[in-house]
Amino acid sequence: MTALYDEIQQVAAQYPQRRSAVIPALRLAQEAHGGWLPPAAFREVADALELTPAYCQSVASFYDMFQLEPVGKHMIEVCTNISCALVGAQATLEAFESELGIRAGETTPDGEFTLRTIECLGGCGWGTVVSCDHRYRHYVKPEDASRVVEELRHAEH
Amino acid sequence: MAAELVTITIDGVELQVPKGTNLVEAAASGGIEIPVFCYEPRLGAPVGACRMCLCEVEGMPKPQAACTMGATDGLKLHTAATSKQAADAQNATLEFILVNHPLDCPVCDKGGECPLQDLTFRYGPGNTRMTFPKRTFDKPIPISPLIALDRERCILCYRCTRFSEGVAEDGQLVAVNRGANSMIATFEQEPYRAPFSGNVVELCPVGALTSTQYRFQARPWDIQNVPSVCGLCPVGCNTSVTIRENKAKRVQSRNHPEVDQGWLCDKGRFSSAHLTARDRITSPLRRKRRTGIEEIDWDTALDEAEALIRGANGRIVTALSGTETVELAYALARLLREGVGSSAAVLPEETSDALDPFRLPLSAIAHAELIVVVGDDPVLERAPIVDLWLRQARRAGAQVVTIGPAGSLQAAPGSAAATCERLAGDRDELGRQLRVSERAILIWSGPGGHGGATLAALAADLGFHERPGCGAFHLPATPNGRGVAEAWAAASDREDEGGEPIGLLIVSGDEAASDPNVRHLAEHAEHVIAITLFHGLAVGWADLVLPATSYLERDGSLVNLEGRVQRLRRAVTPPVPDEIAWISKLGARFGVEISPHPSVLFEELSPKVLGGVTYGETGDRAPLPPRPPLAAPTGVAPAPEPAPVAAAAGSFQLVRYRALFSGPAVERIPELQFQRPADELELSAEDASRLGIAGGDTVVVSSEGATVTLRARVNRRLIAGAVRAAEEHVRDLADIVIVARGAGA
Amino acid sequence: MPSTEFEKIVLAGADDHDLTRLSEYERVGGYQSLRKALGMERQAVLDELLAAGLRGRGGAGFPMGRKASFVPKPEQTTKPIYLTINADESEPGTFKDREIMQRVPHRLIEGALITAYTIGSNHVFIYIRGEYLSEFEIVRAALAEARDRGLVGANVLGSGWNCTIVLHRGAGAYICGEETALLESLEGKRGQPRSKPPFPALQGLYASPTLINNVETIATVPPIIEKGGAWYAQFGVPNSAGTRVFSLSGNVANGGNYELPMGISLRELIYDIGGGIPDGRKLKAIIPGGSSTPVLTADDIDTALDFDAIGAAGSMLGSGAIIAIDDRACMVQLALRVAQFYQHESCGKCTPCREGTRWMVNIIEKVETGHAQQGDLDLLLSVCDRILGKCLCPLGDAAAMPVASYVDRFREEFQAHIDQGCCPFGDSSSLDRILSPVQQHARLLRELAVIA
Ligand SMILES: Cc1cc2nc3c(=O)[nH]c(=O)nc-3n(C[C@H](O)[C@H](O)[C@H](O)COP(=O)(O)O)c2cc1C
Ligand code: SF4
Ligand code: FES
Repeated sequence: MTALYDEIQQVAAQYPQRRSAVIPALRLAQEAHGGWLPPAAFREVADALELTPAYCQSVASFYDMFQLEPVGKHMIEVCTNISCALVGAQATLEAFESELGIRAGETTPDGEFTLRTIECLGGCGWGTVVSCDHRYRHYVKPEDASRVVEELRHAEH
Repeated sequence: MAAELVTITIDGVELQVPKGTNLVEAAASGGIEIPVFCYEPRLGAPVGACRMCLCEVEGMPKPQAACTMGATDGLKLHTAATSKQAADAQNATLEFILVNHPLDCPVCDKGGECPLQDLTFRYGPGNTRMTFPKRTFDKPIPISPLIALDRERCILCYRCTRFSEGVAEDGQLVAVNRGANSMIATFEQEPYRAPFSGNVVELCPVGALTSTQYRFQARPWDIQNVPSVCGLCPVGCNTSVTIRENKAKRVQSRNHPEVDQGWLCDKGRFSSAHLTARDRITSPLRRKRRTGIEEIDWDTALDEAEALIRGANGRIVTALSGTETVELAYALARLLREGVGSSAAVLPEETSDALDPFRLPLSAIAHAELIVVVGDDPVLERAPIVDLWLRQARRAGAQVVTIGPAGSLQAAPGSAAATCERLAGDRDELGRQLRVSERAILIWSGPGGHGGATLAALAADLGFHERPGCGAFHLPATPNGRGVAEAWAAASDREDEGGEPIGLLIVSGDEAASDPNVRHLAEHAEHVIAITLFHGLAVGWADLVLPATSYLERDGSLVNLEGRVQRLRRAVTPPVPDEIAWISKLGARFGVEISPHPSVLFEELSPKVLGGVTYGETGDRAPLPPRPPLAAPTGVAPAPEPAPVAAAAGSFQLVRYRALFSGPAVERIPELQFQRPADELELSAEDASRLGIAGGDTVVVSSEGATVTLRARVNRRLIAGAVRAAEEHVRDLADIVIVARGAGA
Repeated sequence: MPSTEFEKIVLAGADDHDLTRLSEYERVGGYQSLRKALGMERQAVLDELLAAGLRGRGGAGFPMGRKASFVPKPEQTTKPIYLTINADESEPGTFKDREIMQRVPHRLIEGALITAYTIGSNHVFIYIRGEYLSEFEIVRAALAEARDRGLVGANVLGSGWNCTIVLHRGAGAYICGEETALLESLEGKRGQPRSKPPFPALQGLYASPTLINNVETIATVPPIIEKGGAWYAQFGVPNSAGTRVFSLSGNVANGGNYELPMGISLRELIYDIGGGIPDGRKLKAIIPGGSSTPVLTADDIDTALDFDAIGAAGSMLGSGAIIAIDDRACMVQLALRVAQFYQHESCGKCTPCREGTRWMVNIIEKVETGHAQQGDLDLLLSVCDRILGKCLCPLGDAAAMPVASYVDRFREEFQAHIDQGCCPFGDSSSLDRILSPVQQHARLLRELAVIA
């Protein structure tokens, strides 16, 4: 059995009903597959939890944090909801776009970065909030974009 | 225990209903319509998704979804008929549904029988205020060779996905994405391959899921629907056959709540096109020495048949399929038993009347608390609807124990009788539970032999006849095996021996014609008459082939596995004379008067073997005959020792099952081919790892000179030492096989 | 900042101590309430919660003690009883639960244990928003410490009572904050709300009795048990007892979370504590309870922040998230952005919300780009009205109410877009070039279907 299979069994054991482990299992599978869920990942999760791949994909596609397409090594997500928008999220996003040379929703050709907009991250008082590889940065201004990108580029992943 | 009655008022009409009655049902009982889309009680608890049923409830500020409310005393409800709030809310729902609907009714198969059309007509807005581009999708998308999906028409009531997840539990058809992007899909565009997939077509309240067979075939106003029953398995689901210009265009369910609950398997639903298969025989055929075969006319054929029968001097054996109607089997029996004194018959798998004292409707399974299934065959492959009843029972909290090679309790192949013996003993915990449960059910699911009698003995030993909630079912291999056997027995009291060698073998029906044992008999018979539907089945080895009719073309009765006598109605006029018609003529030549009318034959038969039910009773939702008292308790006969698993090292016991999607009719439906069993060999996890075989590997299976190459599938439930495959892939193999990893695996 | 003038309850001690550490938390009296509760009758604990008048902090404001009392007693049911804590915080403008998890995770755990004990539950699930990775790690670490100390798990503090706590991370869906959607998600399904009744108190997680409370609600429990319900009830105003951790954001100098007694005015929060509107701009509008609540205007600045007063002003206190909007913001753009959010987050189960939110976005877009006609505003209001009160869960209302309020209160601004055929702000609105959320899972839409 694979490591993923075993990990999923461990997680599933926490719950009174194994199906509860679908989201954690999909998250583990996503990590194991380079940040996204190819069809094979659904088969693996389905096998481990005795569900169908269709069911697993149905669940995954409901949630924004599951990726059904390949993503870059680093994920930059700029909150564009109202609190951040009121203090300039648009300009911050544009700064990232020009820094990376891609539009929101795209991945750099070298596969390093995916840039996305995201709904309210829960940092509204300290906008603009940008989530970099799922770690929040607050008060991000347009002029910070290049520094953030550089830091990520050299970060251990 | 009678439920407490409460008084509710709907549109001013006072109604008394059991407390908690769903308000949609309560209104319907008072003749008041509450429009619905997503509500469908057979799919489980209501979900309240579509909001079509919004009504005003006095004392509540907002409109309420009636489908999710139960009756409470004093509740006052207003439908759109008496409440502006309800009318506005329902109008709003329809406006929202139509905002993204293509309104392509003129070219939609659902047109004319579409709830969306009907409800829009009655409750909807007359015009549209939507001026933006509608959501558009590729359409229609085949989600399988059987079903097309038009996402633009889909109103996301989730009936189909709820069926897939919560009734059939196949988990194949799902919703993906969220919000306005939600849509129905299968995994990565793979086909929806599941035995009950077709039910979603009937469940869909709009034209989003349509049958590829029925698309563009007919409009509701130029069809007739003939009420009948399915003749393809021993359940006998009640059906409604759609006819246009004497062609069977589709088969739909006709909900018998005790038998099928309104579901059909795909075999029953999608097989009707076998009637028009290209190799259907439409005139009698005679073997000719040099040129093979020749078509002959019916007079010649009857002369020929008469001559063959006379020439056999009473040494006649009749092989029956178990697909014949009771009346047909009876007519044939009278011809041969009365006319020429030939009683010898190869009857379909024994079905035992010993089970009658434990008789229950299939629906009782859903209410059982303990169900024990014994036998080698998956229930689904023998009697598909029973599989749905079992799932429903399990969801309702019943304990379902399957004892077999791939059961929840593993048992060696062929050990069902031994299992029964064990359950009867007083040392078995499960047996003890069966003895005290008020709602326990036993099911025998293959192999054949004396299953019914063995199970009956167990049930008697457990005292099931004294507990009306307990019952036992035998799942026979053929649709009407019992009816045929009883009709055969009823035709005469005379017994005689067939005599050796066989002078004439009469093969009735396609199943008998394709049975290897029957073919074997044929080799030793001097002459053979075969009655078959299709060309390839008997041509080459029968002297005379008489064209048969199909269950969709017959009038008559079938006795299903419960013992329920159900009426088959001719939906389509056959291209050939009805069997009973020419048997009647042939009878006259032997001095036997046989009526050509099934109803007359039924009258003759019913008092003898069918408990005297009347023809009329069998037509619409036939009742189940009452339980007869238990004759004399027999005790469970000691079972023969099952063959030891894995006779020699490295060899396996082969468990073969006849797949649901097999047989002459299925083979002739192109759209059903994807449902046929994959060429797989199931192996236990233990054996697979011991042999270093992984799922998907090629395996070579061999015995006594025969070799078959299959793909391996690891079945974690299967008992070690056994392997399993569909009969059609392992026909040439013996029961003990050697399995090896194939090259390139 | 002046906020220190007010006594803190939920965040008490967190300014001076690192309360993420168990030892520090114990130094300020941590887990004494648990000890105390375990020595009390269950009903006595419940009575304190009832006396405190604590209302749920998740949005709906339902009295916490009352809801707990709906859960069948262990002796009345054969099923396990569950406590589920809602840490899915996703309502735009709200970030208080995050602060609680970051700074006082042990108070949350202690509150969870006391509440579980009170309702006779042995199983707690904390459903944490998927994006809150750091917060998850902090709570996980705190939980591990508590487990090591015998505070969680088998035989809690030697009392013979067992209680497990499982952290469950969501995966990015606002609707999972709705309690029944949360339960579905926790059961491993798509997070689509269930129709009620049955209410979760009777049939919740795995069809068993379940109490669901917000993080802040639960974190308020230990101080109430420590000092008594009557003590807690002195804070705030009648019908809105206690403090709240208000989340302040938008065009305000000092955004952040402030724990304050209820009944404090919007003016005090925005100007005295929040430092007012920066850059010398003028306050134009206030969203008082998260993005789903109807907007207030600058004229409402003296409204008190309690359930009744905000209600009287025509809005709702919701999640206690106050968003200040200055005079640079185009209200049509604001409406569009809010509508886009709810369209994006609609679960797709019920018709009015799924179809109505999309239609709303269409219409507002048309207004925003100056292509709307007379009549479109009434159509928009009519669509809002046809959503309101007709959906399966409150998300539909959450989309329709604010949008209707923008049109209601700033109709002239909407009308100006139609009359002038463009945005009267030109491109100087602070919300100019607003960005809609990315199309999620575009691959499925692309491959399985063609989106025009
Ligand atoms: C669309 C929607 C989103 C919600 N999101 C949250 C949330 O993120 N956190 C929360 O605690 N409650 C949220 N709620 C409220 C919950 O349904 C529920 O009322 C609450 O968790 C109960 O806890 P309380 O009584 O302690 O407030 C939401 C409700 C709706 C309708
Ligand atoms: S109102 Fe919206 S979020 Fe709630 S059930 Fe309906 S579609 Fe889902
Ligand atoms: S029928 Fe009631 S909501 Fe669909």
